[in-house]
Amino acid sequence: MKKFKIFFDIEKEEQWLNAQLQKGYRCTDISGLGMYTFEKTDKRYVIRLDYQDYLSKKKFRDYKGVYEDFGWIYIKGSRLGGIQHWQKEDDGRNEIFSDRQSQSSYYKRLMSYSFGLGIPLLAFSYMLYKDSGLYLTEGLWSMKGSLFWKAFLFETPFALLRSLPAFMVVFFAGSFYKAYRKYSMFKEK
Amino acid sequence: MKHKLLPLSETMHYILLALREPLHGYAIMQKIEKMSNGTVLLAAGTLYGAIDNLNKQGWIEPVDQSGRRKVYMITAEGNAILKMEQSRLLHILSLYEGRESNEKI
Repeated sequence: MKKFKIFFDIEKEEQWLNAQLQKGYRCTDISGLGMYTFEKTDKRYVIRLDYQDYLSKKKFRDYKGVYEDFGWIYIKGSRLGGIQHWQKEDDGRNEIFSDRQSQSSYYKRLMSYSFGLGIPLLAFSYMLYKDSGLYLTEGLWSMKGSLFWKAFLFETPFALLRSLPAFMVVFFAGSFYKAYRKYSMFKEK
Repeated sequence: MKHKLLPLSETMHYILLALREPLHGYAIMQKIEKMSNGTVLLAAGTLYGAIDNLNKQGWIEPVDQSGRRKVYMITAEGNAILKMEQSRLLHILSLYEGRESNEKI
């Protein structure tokens, strides 16, 4: 079974994946473009998502080695940084974090990820908009009647495209805040 | 200011105590399960993060390689941390037993 899906929220992705596994599947492949491949199984599996920044080759080997010793199978991820997908047969010990300290540092890693992407985008958006508005057509706002509407409608798709970085800033700010809320929840003692 | 890992969390405490003998990652988890009478079950991500962190602090170090697994052991600095924690905990224990207040009288 193949399913196509795009996620912007790591926890939603984890929930969705586990909901598929509950129906008697196990995940065999995840492609970079959002194609999830599942296979029918009699056993029960669970998936957990971790986030890691760039790991050196040696560190990545250690990281994978520890998880694999615990029975986790690496489905997809990247040594260069990103979401790491781990799957395992359900044996009652299905978590990848067992204390608050590690749980909170997981959310801290997610925070610095959103921050690291959000700040350059914010700077980029600022540079993009500081000298001009979203609409670039010369004298657009002083045009009259149908000429204005034609020019306005023609320009709108481009304006939307130009506003994409700003939307992404809002999105990363949102993920940062979400991770921060969880982080402070686990940080409290 | 106090070190950010002090006082030691239960996880860190158990790992340092377990590594008074050389062990690789999974064996650390198994030993801690025994040491704690089955009450402390470390998960993979927690164990990896803790080893990485303790190694960075210089409180444990890799001493050997068994196959693809790294074997770790506590360092002199790590032992000094345990000593400090021990006297902190002994003091708290003495408070539990009411000894401290008696001494003052």
